[in-house]
Amino acid sequence: MRICMVSDFFYPSIGGVEEHVYNLSQMLLSLGHKIVVLTHAYGDCSGIRYVTGYLKVYYLPIKVCYNQCILPTAVCNVPMLRAVLLRERVEVVHGHSAFSALAHEALMVGSLLGLKTVFTDHSLFGFADLSAALTNNLLEVNLGMVNHAICVSHIGKENTVLRARVAKNRVSVIPNAVDTALFTPDPQQRPSNDIINIVVASRLVYRKGIDLLAGIIPRFKNTPNINFIIVGDGPKRDLLEEIREKTNMQERVHMVGAVEHNKVRDFLVRGHIFLNTSLTEAYCMAIVEAASCGLQVVSTSVGGIPEVLPKSLILLAEPEIDAIYAAILIAIDRHRKSSFKVSPPVANGHLPSEANGKAKRRRRRKTDTPTSPTQLPASSAPPADQNSPAEPVMCPYRCNELVETLYNWEDVALRTVKVYDRVSNERSFTTSELVFAVWQHGSWFLVFFVVAHFLMRLLELWRPRNRVELAQDVQRPVS
Amino acid sequence: MVKKGQSKRQPWVKNLYSNREYPDNYTDASFLKDLRTNLHCRIYTFGEAIAGITVLNNQISCITGFLILYQLMLSDSVSPTTILVPSCGITGIGYLCYRGRSLSWALLGEDSKTLVTVVLFGYLFSPMLHTLTQAISTDTIYTMTFFVLLGNLIFGHYGLDVAMVSKAVSLNAAIFGAICLASRLPTSYHAFVLLVEAAVFFVLYPIMTEANWHAGFMVPIFSMCCMALYCISRPVLYLYASTTIFINFVCPFIFVWQQQYKFNIHGPWDEAIVEENTEENLDGNL
Repeated sequence: MRICMVSDFFYPSIGGVEEHVYNLSQMLLSLGHKIVVLTHAYGDCSGIRYVTGYLKVYYLPIKVCYNQCILPTAVCNVPMLRAVLLRERVEVVHGHSAFSALAHEALMVGSLLGLKTVFTDHSLFGFADLSAALTNNLLEVNLGMVNHAICVSHIGKENTVLRARVAKNRVSVIPNAVDTALFTPDPQQRPSNDIINIVVASRLVYRKGIDLLAGIIPRFKNTPNINFIIVGDGPKRDLLEEIREKTNMQERVHMVGAVEHNKVRDFLVRGHIFLNTSLTEAYCMAIVEAASCGLQVVSTSVGGIPEVLPKSLILLAEPEIDAIYAAILIAIDRHRKSSFKVSPPVANGHLPSEANGKAKRRRRRKTDTPTSPTQLPASSAPPADQNSPAEPVMCPYRCNELVETLYNWEDVALRTVKVYDRVSNERSFTTSELVFAVWQHGSWFLVFFVVAHFLMRLLELWRPRNRVELAQDVQRPVS
Repeated sequence: MVKKGQSKRQPWVKNLYSNREYPDNYTDASFLKDLRTNLHCRIYTFGEAIAGITVLNNQISCITGFLILYQLMLSDSVSPTTILVPSCGITGIGYLCYRGRSLSWALLGEDSKTLVTVVLFGYLFSPMLHTLTQAISTDTIYTMTFFVLLGNLIFGHYGLDVAMVSKAVSLNAAIFGAICLASRLPTSYHAFVLLVEAAVFFVLYPIMTEANWHAGFMVPIFSMCCMALYCISRPVLYLYASTTIFINFVCPFIFVWQQQYKFNIHGPWDEAIVEENTEENLDGNL
């Protein structure tokens, strides 16, 4: 199948959506599909490029307006998007992220061309303020024209169904995944003495709950042997530095700053506990990455986070300083009590020197076990009291294996392909159906829709479909 | 999509790693069970709405009163001194009421210093302010005054803390309107009195009313404006009175009636609200 991923967010930008698009594309490529990624130009990074695994990326020359998004004009980029979609003989247009104006435009062009459209929503929205109301209306209009929507968590599905008024059966829940082969534990990196490291890795912004973190750090002022490693940068960094100075914890709070995504593991493996203080989160990849590195995760119980990890891997707390502090204390207690001797099973391929996950991945390929388990190993165990410190902390390598059974990109890709198969069996929208959908969901958008429609008709005359030069497919070397 | 008759299926759990036997677009019966509507909604009664809207009406009456004084001076039916002396008296009484118990000699000295500075400089500069916009045509002046006074209404502070509100913009708009109008008056003494009145109506009176507002305060200023307009122009009186009554009674009625359509959705997707650390509360929280 020929699929076009559209999002304003793609490499060289870094974030959850970018990673999702990249990993999903790679997996679909290896499943034998033809993938094209559409995004806007990032500075010098423009034109058509091939990235890893002959993944073709179009960096369209569109000016960025705000927050890495293009100006949502709805009609200005129609000729360009049409040209790309026709050139690549795309069958399914797959837009990502509700914030991405490019994705919305491409979905509209796709549905006008009679292609199948899928949209993945990566974020949660409130309903209270004006900006949310406007964005929700735009999303409602666009999802009216989309064959199928995908959300990354059940909360996300509830949210999307509410705010975009799509039918429930047109929304699938397919979670994100984490490459557990890249996020392997390495307990040798942890401090050998009695020190416990608490790692925080997020952008330092309000939405990630840095104000909560700033309230938690001073609580450990008089608790020796507890150190913090804070990875990430953002406007709230000043606040944390001020807190650190005022509490005299310069030696114990290590501010790393912004780190490239592939370096994050180096900091994760140094910690025992991972702390996430987000105020809202649709899925939260960070906690899965941390759990994959064998850390005990402590997180606020917001949005989709309670759905992500089994109780054995995560301690949930209400988004209040006292509750999170109590949860951290439980995690510390567990670590102090258990103090297991870490001995990586060499025969299992977990060599301490194994910095990258190549060996592990090779092993996985070789054994080729079905990666989707029918039942969770932990679910069979009697439900232990979640907040009892008596429950020992899990071995990091066990954590990694458990996360691997829960999430992997292959599974995500297979489930996404199911959605593609489903929509390609559906009839594509006729123009009158589209007009009716737009009319129902937000009649103001008809202005743009009609302009776009006639622009497409004009382009059909000017640059007929059968005269468009088709792109050559690069043959993927068989590995 | 969901096949019935599959009896051996495990129950659906709300997490992302089980439910292998269910299709991805399966919707469980527990869907949206955490949805809450109108959690923090406050339903206002008709009385509350009427009492609340008087703040806006008071500002409209303020502007009307100021324009009445301008009209009186422009038509030369009242001399500037006849306006200045009573308003000085009322200002004095208002000051005593405002300070109340906390009045002391030191405070009085401070305040009179401010007063003398403002009045002295106002008097010194009034010839200049009088001629400042003289070259502009009267129609332009009136149009401009209309818009700046409208701006005063729009940006005014009515007790709500929203982005639109700006006391500075509101006050400056009003003073600018006063300076525009001052150029149409015959002498610079007239202009000075008009500026003093502007200060009374747009600076001092709002300070007074903001400190302790009561819906009843609306009555005297409204009736005085009505009386004055009765002498000046009937059509304007009808316009003013009907506008005030519309805003004061019909608008609250519409507002209260529309409240039945309040539909505020809350759920687990809402952003948690935490206290933001600012310069002020940082030390207290440590």
